Amino acid sequence: MENLNIESTQSTPSICADPETGTVRMRGDSYPENSYELFSPVMDWIEAYLRDSDRLLTLELHLLYLNTSSVKAMMDIFDMLEEAHGNGRKVAVNWYYDEQNERVAELAEEFKEDCSFPFLVTSLVD
Amino acid sequence: MRDNPRLERTIERLLSDPAYDDHPLRCALADLYAEFRDALYQIDRIASISDRYQSNAREVTLSLTERYRKQLRQLGKLARISDRYQSMMRDLNEALKEASTRDALTGIGNRRLLMERLKEETARAERMGRPLTLAIADVDRFKSINDAHGHDAGDKTLIEIAATIEASVREYDVCGRWGGEEFLVIMPEIGAVEGAAVIERVRQAVRGLQVNIGGQVIAISLSFGIAQRHAGESLSETINRADAALFAAKRAGRDRYEMAE
Repeated sequence: MENLNIESTQSTPSICADPETGTVRMRGDSYPENSYELFSPVMDWIEAYLRDSDRLLTLELHLLYLNTSSVKAMMDIFDMLEEAHGNGRKVAVNWYYDEQNERVAELAEEFKEDCSFPFLVTSLVD
Repeated sequence: MRDNPRLERTIERLLSDPAYDDHPLRCALADLYAEFRDALYQIDRIASISDRYQSNAREVTLSLTERYRKQLRQLGKLARISDRYQSMMRDLNEALKEASTRDALTGIGNRRLLMERLKEETARAERMGRPLTLAIADVDRFKSINDAHGHDAGDKTLIEIAATIEASVREYDVCGRWGGEEFLVIMPEIGAVEGAAVIERVRQAVRGLQVNIGGQVIAISLSFGIAQRHAGESLSETINRADAALFAAKRAGRDRYEMAE
Protein backbone atom coordinates (compact mmCIF):
# COMPACT_ATOMS: atom_id res chain seq x y z
CA MET A 1 0.00 0.00 0.00
CA GLU A 2 1.31 3.42 -0.97
CA ASN A 3 2.07 6.56 0.98
CA LEU A 4 -0.20 9.49 0.32
CA ASN A 5 1.45 12.90 0.05
CA ILE A 6 -0.58 15.97 -0.79
CA GLU A 7 1.28 19.27 -0.60
CA SER A 8 -0.44 22.17 1.13
CA THR A 9 -1.59 25.18 -0.85
CA GLN A 10 -2.87 28.53 0.32
CA SER A 11 -6.38 27.09 0.55
CA THR A 12 -5.75 23.41 1.29
CA PRO A 13 -3.96 21.52 4.06
CA SER A 14 -0.99 19.22 3.63
CA ILE A 15 -2.12 15.60 3.88
CA CYS A 16 0.28 12.70 4.48
CA ALA A 17 -0.71 9.09 5.03
CA ASP A 18 1.81 6.43 5.95
CA PRO A 19 0.77 2.74 5.98
CA GLU A 20 3.92 1.80 7.97
CA THR A 21 2.86 3.82 10.99
CA GLY A 22 -0.86 3.77 10.24
CA THR A 23 -1.15 7.55 10.49
CA VAL A 24 -2.93 10.17 8.45
CA ARG A 25 -1.64 13.67 9.12
CA MET A 26 -3.46 16.84 8.04
CA ARG A 27 -2.13 20.30 8.66
CA GLY A 28 -3.37 23.78 7.80
CA ASP A 29 -6.49 25.54 6.55
CA SER A 30 -9.01 23.84 4.30
CA TYR A 31 -11.24 25.83 2.01
CA PRO A 32 -10.81 24.12 -1.35
CA GLU A 33 -12.98 24.89 -4.34
CA ASN A 34 -13.60 21.20 -4.75
CA SER A 35 -13.68 19.25 -1.50
CA TYR A 36 -14.50 16.01 -3.26
CA GLU A 37 -11.30 16.23 -5.27
CA LEU A 38 -9.20 16.96 -2.19
CA PHE A 39 -10.70 14.46 0.23
CA SER A 40 -11.54 11.53 -2.07
CA PRO A 41 -7.95 10.23 -2.16
CA VAL A 42 -7.86 10.45 1.64
CA MET A 43 -11.11 8.53 2.02
CA ASP A 44 -9.91 5.96 -0.52
CA TRP A 45 -6.65 5.56 1.37
CA ILE A 46 -8.43 5.12 4.71
CA GLU A 47 -10.86 2.63 3.19
CA ALA A 48 -8.00 0.60 1.70
CA TYR A 49 -5.96 0.73 4.90
CA LEU A 50 -8.89 -0.48 6.98
CA ARG A 51 -9.55 -3.24 4.44
CA ASP A 52 -5.96 -4.43 3.90
CA SER A 53 -4.52 -4.12 7.38
CA ASP A 54 -5.67 -4.97 10.87
CA ARG A 55 -3.48 -2.46 12.66
CA LEU A 56 -4.27 0.79 14.46
CA LEU A 57 -5.26 3.81 12.39
CA THR A 58 -4.48 7.24 13.87
CA LEU A 59 -5.48 10.63 12.49
CA GLU A 60 -3.12 13.42 13.53
CA LEU A 61 -4.92 16.67 12.88
CA HIS A 62 -3.54 20.19 12.94
CA LEU A 63 -6.46 21.78 11.16
CA LEU A 64 -7.37 25.42 11.63
CA TYR A 65 -10.09 26.85 9.40
CA LEU A 66 -12.47 24.48 7.58
CA ASN A 67 -15.08 25.59 5.08
CA THR A 68 -18.48 23.93 5.08
CA SER A 69 -17.70 21.21 2.55
CA SER A 70 -14.47 20.39 4.38
CA VAL A 71 -16.48 20.05 7.59
CA LYS A 72 -18.74 17.61 5.73
CA ALA A 73 -15.73 15.67 4.50
CA MET A 74 -14.30 15.41 8.03
CA MET A 75 -17.68 14.27 9.35
CA ASP A 76 -17.72 11.56 6.66
CA ILE A 77 -14.18 10.49 7.57
CA PHE A 78 -15.10 10.29 11.27
CA ASP A 79 -18.15 8.22 10.25
CA MET A 80 -15.82 5.78 8.48
CA LEU A 81 -13.72 5.55 11.64
CA GLU A 82 -16.81 5.11 13.78
CA GLU A 83 -17.96 2.24 11.60
CA ALA A 84 -14.53 0.59 11.73
CA HIS A 85 -14.52 1.03 15.49
CA GLY A 86 -17.94 -0.64 15.63
CA ASN A 87 -16.41 -3.58 13.74
CA GLY A 88 -13.74 -3.95 16.42
CA ARG A 89 -10.95 -2.00 14.71
CA LYS A 90 -8.59 0.21 16.68
CA VAL A 91 -8.85 3.79 15.48
CA ALA A 92 -7.95 7.09 17.13
CA VAL A 93 -7.99 10.80 16.43
CA ASN A 94 -5.58 13.34 17.94
CA TRP A 95 -6.63 16.89 17.21
CA TYR A 96 -3.93 19.40 18.11
CA TYR A 97 -4.57 23.07 18.67
CA ASP A 98 -2.58 26.16 19.58
CA GLU A 99 -3.27 27.46 23.09
CA GLN A 100 -3.58 30.89 21.50
CA ASN A 101 -6.65 29.68 19.68
CA GLU A 102 -8.92 27.83 22.11
CA ARG A 103 -11.80 28.05 19.64
CA VAL A 104 -10.22 25.39 17.47
CA ALA A 105 -10.46 23.12 20.52
CA GLU A 106 -14.17 23.94 20.93
CA LEU A 107 -14.74 23.04 17.28
CA ALA A 108 -12.82 19.79 17.61
CA GLU A 109 -15.05 18.95 20.59
CA GLU A 110 -18.11 19.45 18.36
CA PHE A 111 -16.75 16.91 15.88
CA LYS A 112 -15.94 14.54 18.73
CA GLU A 113 -19.51 14.58 20.06
CA ASP A 114 -20.83 11.56 18.12
CA CYS A 115 -17.59 9.56 18.13
CA SER A 116 -17.19 6.62 20.51
CA PHE A 117 -13.56 5.85 19.54
CA PRO A 118 -10.61 7.56 21.30
CA PHE A 119 -10.67 11.20 20.22
CA LEU A 120 -8.15 13.44 21.94
CA VAL A 121 -8.27 17.22 21.69
CA THR A 122 -4.96 18.49 22.97
CA SER A 123 -2.84 21.62 23.04
CA LEU A 124 0.34 19.55 23.14
CA VAL A 125 2.53 19.29 20.08
CA ASP A 126 3.07 15.81 18.69
CA MET B 1 -42.22 10.07 10.64
CA ARG B 2 -42.00 7.03 12.89
CA ASP B 3 -38.67 5.28 12.79
CA ASN B 4 -40.07 1.96 11.74
CA PRO B 5 -38.44 -0.21 9.09
CA ARG B 6 -41.55 -2.37 9.15
CA LEU B 7 -43.54 0.51 7.68
CA GLU B 8 -41.38 0.49 4.56
CA ARG B 9 -41.68 -3.28 4.23
CA THR B 10 -45.46 -3.03 4.63
CA ILE B 11 -45.74 -0.35 1.95
CA GLU B 12 -43.53 -2.27 -0.46
CA ARG B 13 -45.56 -5.42 0.13
CA LEU B 14 -48.86 -3.59 -0.45
CA LEU B 15 -47.57 -1.95 -3.62
CA SER B 16 -46.40 -5.25 -5.06
CA ASP B 17 -49.61 -7.11 -4.19
CA PRO B 18 -51.60 -7.58 -7.46
CA ALA B 19 -54.79 -7.70 -5.39
CA TYR B 20 -54.58 -3.91 -5.02
CA ASP B 21 -53.62 -3.14 -8.62
CA ASP B 22 -56.96 -1.46 -9.30
CA HIS B 23 -57.35 0.19 -5.92
CA PRO B 24 -57.64 4.00 -6.34
CA LEU B 25 -55.27 4.59 -3.39
CA ARG B 26 -52.57 2.34 -4.80
CA CYS B 27 -51.42 4.86 -7.40
CA ALA B 28 -51.40 7.67 -4.83
CA LEU B 29 -49.41 5.54 -2.38
CA ALA B 30 -46.91 4.57 -5.10
CA ASP B 31 -46.43 8.24 -6.01
CA LEU B 32 -46.06 9.24 -2.39
CA TYR B 33 -43.51 6.49 -1.76
CA ALA B 34 -41.53 7.52 -4.85
CA GLU B 35 -41.57 11.14 -3.63
CA PHE B 36 -40.30 9.98 -0.26
CA ARG B 37 -37.44 7.99 -1.78
CA ASP B 38 -36.53 10.86 -4.04
CA ALA B 39 -36.46 13.28 -1.11
CA LEU B 40 -34.16 10.88 0.71
CA TYR B 41 -31.90 10.64 -2.33
CA GLN B 42 -31.71 14.42 -2.51
CA ILE B 43 -30.83 14.76 1.14
CA ASP B 44 -28.19 12.04 0.73
CA ARG B 45 -26.64 14.11 -2.03
CA ILE B 46 -26.50 17.22 0.12
CA ALA B 47 -25.42 15.58 3.32
CA SER B 48 -22.31 13.96 1.95
CA ILE B 49 -19.63 15.18 -0.40
CA SER B 50 -19.53 11.81 -2.14
CA ASP B 51 -22.27 9.32 -2.79
CA ARG B 52 -19.76 6.52 -2.37
CA TYR B 53 -20.12 6.47 1.37
CA GLN B 54 -23.88 5.93 1.39
CA SER B 55 -23.47 2.83 -0.72
CA ASN B 56 -21.42 0.94 1.81
CA ALA B 57 -22.73 -2.03 3.71
CA ARG B 58 -23.81 -0.33 6.91
CA GLU B 59 -25.82 2.37 5.17
CA VAL B 60 -27.73 -0.20 3.12
CA THR B 61 -28.80 -2.06 6.24
CA LEU B 62 -30.32 1.13 7.68
CA SER B 63 -33.96 1.70 6.94
CA LEU B 64 -34.92 4.69 4.83
CA THR B 65 -36.31 6.53 7.81
CA GLU B 66 -33.18 5.81 9.82
CA ARG B 67 -31.04 7.16 7.01
CA TYR B 68 -33.26 10.21 6.71
CA ARG B 69 -32.93 10.93 10.41
CA LYS B 70 -29.19 10.38 10.34
CA GLN B 71 -28.79 12.81 7.45
CA LEU B 72 -30.93 15.42 9.15
CA ARG B 73 -28.83 15.08 12.29
CA GLN B 74 -25.65 15.45 10.18
CA LEU B 75 -26.97 18.57 8.46
CA GLY B 76 -27.85 20.10 11.80
CA LYS B 77 -24.38 19.41 13.10
CA LEU B 78 -22.82 20.68 9.90
CA ALA B 79 -24.65 23.99 10.18
CA ARG B 80 -23.68 24.32 13.83
CA ILE B 81 -19.97 23.66 13.19
CA SER B 82 -19.89 25.87 10.09
CA ASP B 83 -21.50 28.71 12.02
CA ARG B 84 -18.82 28.41 14.68
CA TYR B 85 -16.04 28.50 12.08
CA GLN B 86 -17.58 31.57 10.51
CA SER B 87 -17.90 33.32 13.83
CA MET B 88 -14.28 32.42 14.59
CA MET B 89 -13.21 34.01 11.31
CA ARG B 90 -15.29 37.09 11.92
CA ASP B 91 -13.74 37.61 15.36
CA LEU B 92 -10.29 37.03 13.91
CA ASN B 93 -11.04 39.62 11.25
CA GLU B 94 -12.12 42.12 13.92
CA ALA B 95 -8.98 41.44 15.94
CA LEU B 96 -6.79 41.96 12.87
CA LYS B 97 -8.55 45.17 12.00
CA GLU B 98 -8.12 46.39 15.56
CA ALA B 99 -4.45 45.38 15.57
CA SER B 100 -3.81 47.08 12.24
CA THR B 101 -5.06 50.46 13.48
CA ARG B 102 -3.64 50.41 17.04
CA ASP B 103 -0.17 51.37 18.09
CA ALA B 104 1.28 48.25 19.71
CA LEU B 105 3.15 50.13 22.45
CA THR B 106 0.71 52.79 23.61
CA GLY B 107 -2.62 51.24 22.60
CA ILE B 108 -3.88 54.46 20.98
CA GLY B 109 -4.45 54.84 17.23
CA ASN B 110 -1.46 54.38 14.93
CA ARG B 111 -0.45 56.35 11.86
CA ARG B 112 -2.71 54.22 9.64
CA LEU B 113 -5.76 55.09 11.75
CA LEU B 114 -4.75 58.75 11.82
CA MET B 115 -4.38 58.88 8.03
CA GLU B 116 -7.80 57.25 7.56
CA ARG B 117 -9.45 59.69 9.92
CA LEU B 118 -7.54 62.69 8.52
CA LYS B 119 -8.81 61.89 5.03
CA GLU B 120 -12.38 61.44 6.28
CA GLU B 121 -12.36 64.60 8.39
CA THR B 122 -10.68 66.69 5.68
CA ALA B 123 -13.29 65.57 3.14
CA ARG B 124 -16.10 66.27 5.61
CA ALA B 125 -14.76 69.72 6.53
CA GLU B 126 -14.46 70.62 2.84
CA ARG B 127 -17.91 69.31 1.97
CA MET B 128 -19.74 70.90 4.89
CA GLY B 129 -17.63 74.04 5.05
CA ARG B 130 -16.79 73.30 8.68
CA PRO B 131 -13.59 74.11 10.61
CA LEU B 132 -10.99 71.44 11.33
CA THR B 133 -7.86 71.83 13.43
CA LEU B 134 -4.84 69.55 13.78
CA ALA B 135 -2.11 69.52 16.39
CA ILE B 136 1.20 67.70 16.21
CA ALA B 137 2.93 67.08 19.54
CA ASP B 138 6.51 66.10 20.14
CA VAL B 139 8.00 64.95 23.46
CA ASP B 140 10.64 67.45 24.62
CA ARG B 141 14.16 66.07 24.95
CA PHE B 142 12.94 62.49 24.56
CA LYS B 143 16.36 61.29 23.53
CA SER B 144 17.82 62.35 26.87
CA ILE B 145 15.17 60.26 28.71
CA ASN B 146 16.20 57.23 26.64
CA ASP B 147 19.89 57.95 27.10
CA ALA B 148 19.68 58.57 30.86
CA HIS B 149 17.15 55.90 31.85
CA GLY B 150 17.08 53.34 29.03
CA HIS B 151 14.56 52.40 26.38
CA ASP B 152 12.15 50.79 28.85
CA ALA B 153 11.87 54.16 30.59
CA GLY B 154 11.29 55.81 27.23
CA ASP B 155 8.54 53.30 26.41
CA LYS B 156 6.89 53.78 29.80
CA THR B 157 6.94 57.55 29.26
CA LEU B 158 5.31 57.25 25.83
CA ILE B 159 2.57 54.99 27.27
CA GLU B 160 1.76 57.49 30.02
CA ILE B 161 1.80 60.45 27.64
CA ALA B 162 -0.53 58.66 25.20
CA ALA B 163 -3.01 57.87 27.99
CA THR B 164 -2.85 61.46 29.22
CA ILE B 165 -3.47 62.98 25.78
CA GLU B 166 -6.38 60.63 25.16
CA ALA B 167 -7.94 61.53 28.52
CA SER B 168 -7.50 65.30 27.98
CA VAL B 169 -8.93 65.82 24.48
CA ARG B 170 -12.63 66.18 23.70
CA GLU B 171 -14.82 63.14 23.14
CA TYR B 172 -14.91 63.58 19.35
CA ASP B 173 -11.23 64.34 18.94
CA VAL B 174 -8.98 61.61 17.62
CA CYS B 175 -5.47 61.16 18.91
CA GLY B 176 -2.81 58.73 17.81
CA ARG B 177 0.88 58.07 17.64
CA TRP B 178 2.19 59.79 14.54
CA GLY B 179 5.75 58.42 14.76
CA GLY B 180 8.52 57.75 17.32
CA GLU B 181 7.80 60.38 19.99
CA GLU B 182 5.27 62.35 17.95
CA PHE B 183 1.54 62.37 18.52
CA LEU B 184 -1.24 63.88 16.45
CA VAL B 185 -4.62 65.23 17.58
CA ILE B 186 -7.48 65.72 15.10
CA MET B 187 -10.07 68.26 16.31
CA PRO B 188 -13.14 68.41 14.07
CA GLU B 189 -15.61 71.30 14.19
CA ILE B 190 -13.31 73.82 15.88
CA GLY B 191 -10.87 76.49 14.73
CA ALA B 192 -7.34 77.22 15.90
CA VAL B 193 -8.34 79.32 18.92
CA GLU B 194 -10.65 76.69 20.42
CA GLY B 195 -8.15 74.03 19.37
CA ALA B 196 -5.45 75.85 21.29
CA ALA B 197 -7.62 75.71 24.43
CA VAL B 198 -7.88 71.92 24.08
CA ILE B 199 -4.13 71.65 23.47
CA GLU B 200 -3.33 73.88 26.46
CA ARG B 201 -5.33 71.44 28.61
CA VAL B 202 -3.29 68.54 27.17
CA ARG B 203 -0.03 70.42 27.72
CA GLN B 204 -0.82 71.07 31.39
CA ALA B 205 -1.97 67.49 31.99
CA VAL B 206 1.29 66.12 30.55
CA ARG B 207 3.28 68.66 32.59
CA GLY B 208 1.55 67.31 35.70
CA LEU B 209 2.52 63.72 34.93
CA GLN B 210 4.58 61.97 37.57
CA VAL B 211 6.48 59.34 35.60
CA ASN B 212 8.32 57.18 38.06
CA ILE B 213 11.50 55.65 36.64
CA GLY B 214 13.28 53.44 39.16
CA GLY B 215 12.18 55.57 42.11
CA GLN B 216 13.03 58.81 40.35
CA VAL B 217 10.24 61.08 39.15
CA ILE B 218 11.10 62.69 35.83
CA ALA B 219 9.52 65.79 34.34
CA ILE B 220 7.84 65.43 30.97
CA SER B 221 6.68 68.13 28.59
CA LEU B 222 5.36 68.36 25.04
CA SER B 223 5.68 70.99 22.36
CA PHE B 224 2.80 71.48 19.94
CA GLY B 225 2.16 72.88 16.50
CA ILE B 226 -1.46 73.75 15.81
CA ALA B 227 -2.91 74.35 12.34
CA GLN B 228 -6.47 75.08 11.33
CA ARG B 229 -7.26 73.74 7.88
CA HIS B 230 -7.68 76.39 5.20
CA ALA B 231 -10.54 75.96 2.74
CA GLY B 232 -9.35 74.12 -0.38
CA GLU B 233 -6.09 73.10 1.26
CA SER B 234 -4.76 69.57 0.84
CA LEU B 235 -4.20 67.33 3.83
CA SER B 236 -0.42 67.37 3.50
CA GLU B 237 -0.40 71.18 3.33
CA THR B 238 -2.23 71.40 6.68
CA ILE B 239 0.13 68.83 8.21
CA ASN B 240 3.17 70.72 6.92
CA ARG B 241 1.94 73.96 8.49
CA ALA B 242 1.35 72.17 11.83
CA ASP B 243 4.86 70.73 11.57
CA ALA B 244 6.35 74.17 10.96
CA ALA B 245 4.44 75.54 13.99
CA LEU B 246 5.80 72.67 16.09
CA PHE B 247 9.30 73.58 15.01
CA ALA B 248 8.62 77.19 16.04
CA ALA B 249 7.41 76.02 19.49
CA LYS B 250 10.62 74.04 19.94
CA ARG B 251 12.69 77.05 18.97
CA ALA B 252 10.71 79.29 21.31
CA GLY B 253 11.77 77.20 24.30
CA ARG B 254 9.61 73.99 24.30
CA ASP B 255 6.70 73.03 26.61
CA ARG B 256 4.39 75.31 24.63
CA TYR B 257 2.27 75.47 21.51
CA GLU B 258 2.51 77.66 18.46
CA MET B 259 -0.26 78.29 15.96
CA ALA B 260 0.42 78.13 12.26
CA GLU B 261 -0.28 81.15 10.07
